[in-house]
Amino acid sequence: MSVKYTPVQWNNNKWIYDAIMLAGVGLFLYIFLYAAPGILSHERPINPQVHNARAFGACAFVMMTVILCIGPLARLDERFLPLLYNRRHFGVMTVFVAITHASYIVDWYFAFSMSNKYEALLFANTSYGQLKGFPFEAFGIFALAVLIILAATSHDFWMKFLSPPVWKRIHYLIYPAYLAVVAHVSLGILQDQQNHAFTWLFAGGALTVGVLHLLAALKERARDQALSVAGADWIDVAGVDEFEDGFAKVRLLPDGDRVAVYLMDGKLSAISNACAHQNGPLGEGRVIDCLVTCPWHGFQYDVRSGRSPAPFTEMVPTYNLRLQGQTVQVDPKANPPGTPVDPIAIPQGAVT
Amino acid sequence: MSDKHPPFFVGYLPIPQGLKQWLLLVSALLVAGMAGFGLVMGIAQDDPGPGAFRFDYGRQTVTGVVELTPYPLVRVTEGNERIAPGTTLMLSGQGKSNVDARAIPLEGQLAQVSGIVLQRGTLNMLQLRGGRNGMSAVEGAAPAQSSKPLGRWKLAGEICDGKCLAGAMRPGTGLAHKACANLCLIGGVPPVFVSSKPVDGSEFLLVTGPDGTELPKSLYDQVGEYITIEGEVERRGDLLVFSVDPTTVGEPE
Ligand code: HEM
Ligand code: FES
Repeated sequence: MSVKYTPVQWNNNKWIYDAIMLAGVGLFLYIFLYAAPGILSHERPINPQVHNARAFGACAFVMMTVILCIGPLARLDERFLPLLYNRRHFGVMTVFVAITHASYIVDWYFAFSMSNKYEALLFANTSYGQLKGFPFEAFGIFALAVLIILAATSHDFWMKFLSPPVWKRIHYLIYPAYLAVVAHVSLGILQDQQNHAFTWLFAGGALTVGVLHLLAALKERARDQALSVAGADWIDVAGVDEFEDGFAKVRLLPDGDRVAVYLMDGKLSAISNACAHQNGPLGEGRVIDCLVTCPWHGFQYDVRSGRSPAPFTEMVPTYNLRLQGQTVQVDPKANPPGTPVDPIAIPQGAVT
Repeated sequence: MSDKHPPFFVGYLPIPQGLKQWLLLVSALLVAGMAGFGLVMGIAQDDPGPGAFRFDYGRQTVTGVVELTPYPLVRVTEGNERIAPGTTLMLSGQGKSNVDARAIPLEGQLAQVSGIVLQRGTLNMLQLRGGRNGMSAVEGAAPAQSSKPLGRWKLAGEICDGKCLAGAMRPGTGLAHKACANLCLIGGVPPVFVSSKPVDGSEFLLVTGPDGTELPKSLYDQVGEYITIEGEVERRGDLLVFSVDPTTVGEPE
């Protein structure tokens, strides 16, 4: 939540997060660069420039793989949510590692000629009509361009500026970028290697990303089916005795939006399930200090008005509720974001 | 907080007790996993081969007869303790450049060449110093040089640039290196065929197009790739020259 944009709103957890991620990256590079060569019994070593390029390229790939695993892991098991919290910092680190990879390559394979090294990158290999010998660098260039765009627009300022849906759509480019890296490596170094350990790790990493996404999508679909409700007018949410104070029941409305119906202090209120920050699932959050708190980055809302507490200005739509006997019903027509709605008191003794 | 709800993490609040151990475990696994990947990927690197710039020899200066294949060669007639007479040196300029401008006027003549040796197995290349210091005419008649035709061959292997292969880069072959090799060839660095089986004792052959032409541009698409190709092989001193017929490119069985 932000009234003004500072480059980074640091807190302890972010420092710890970054320290852990940096430790992983540092160890990867250190071991690849300095420990592994001693174990290799090559008559003459790989050129340092190529060795460095490989270490940073492989590291960037592993980092992208970890980043893409965090999303589905958090959807499959919410204990992984803390990894999601500061993921963008890890993404920005990945860009720097990837740029280092590309720089070593450009300053080595594409240097020393009469031509400009960046032009050489584009014209040296033009075998676009074949798979073997395809200029796999092109995929690397695309992936790097995407990573740079995503890092440059990762700040909340850009999300506000572009609006969350547009921002989110841009950030889905991470998937084409990851596929491009898979192609980059599959058409490049994998065509060359005699030792297939790298191939197995590479394929294993990419496969993990695919399988986790599939599992998360299946789980989400099953849950959506359980959440979905029929009817055009008022829609059943749940029986009054099914609510738990401080928590929500989520329903999928016919128009595809989700509503989160919260019980707070014995009264029911409904807001949109989509957080104004990055569409985090508000219904999977809980009430902290009388405010609904998003499970992703902790944005907070007054459940009766859909508004973030001052000085913050975020707003989500609210919904009207009514009681039909012992059943709570919601009007599927959302109120404009920030519209206050009187909470519905539920009959005494119904709360568990 | 009821039991059916796991501890709730809010980024800007202290980590809930129930999550601390779990997060410690996940962090340790993550860091250890990155370290493990670094190790396994690091030790999965292939041997880049024995080619090298022989800076340890220091600058070498020898005399020989200049020949054009069309890529310029020097057939050494007066060597030194590192480079014996009878050695054939491929030539290159600094980086990805050729020495055609200096070599063509001296074709068939005796010349002194000076520079740094690149060596891989039977393959020798000299990276010339700049200007006349690197290559200059020598008084005297050039001794006749023999060359021996070895007939038509179909070879399996890879076309790459002779300089990276000889040691300017390790690794200096393969598809990952293709664009780099092409850039060398565009710069006029002599191409070399790395044969899967030795021909007359040598697995490296200088490649030319048919009838004393440069490697046809159409073959740039096959650089770095494992192919079969046919052509005439000729021995010039300790170097084999493979003048290929570009229409015979095929895939090895
Ligand atoms: C301008 C952009 C890029 C260029 C020109 C480029 C070029 C290359 C080249 C030439 C190689 C082969 C190196 C060798 O001979 O071993 C390579 C390998 C590789 N690249 Fe890139 N690349 C780029 C961007 C990227 C990006 C963005 C990633 C990943 C995020 C990436 C990941 C890799 C990986 C994993 C390898 C294999 C490393 C290994 O052998 O262990 N590259 N790249
Ligand atoms: S999505 Fe970021 S706090 Fe809700």
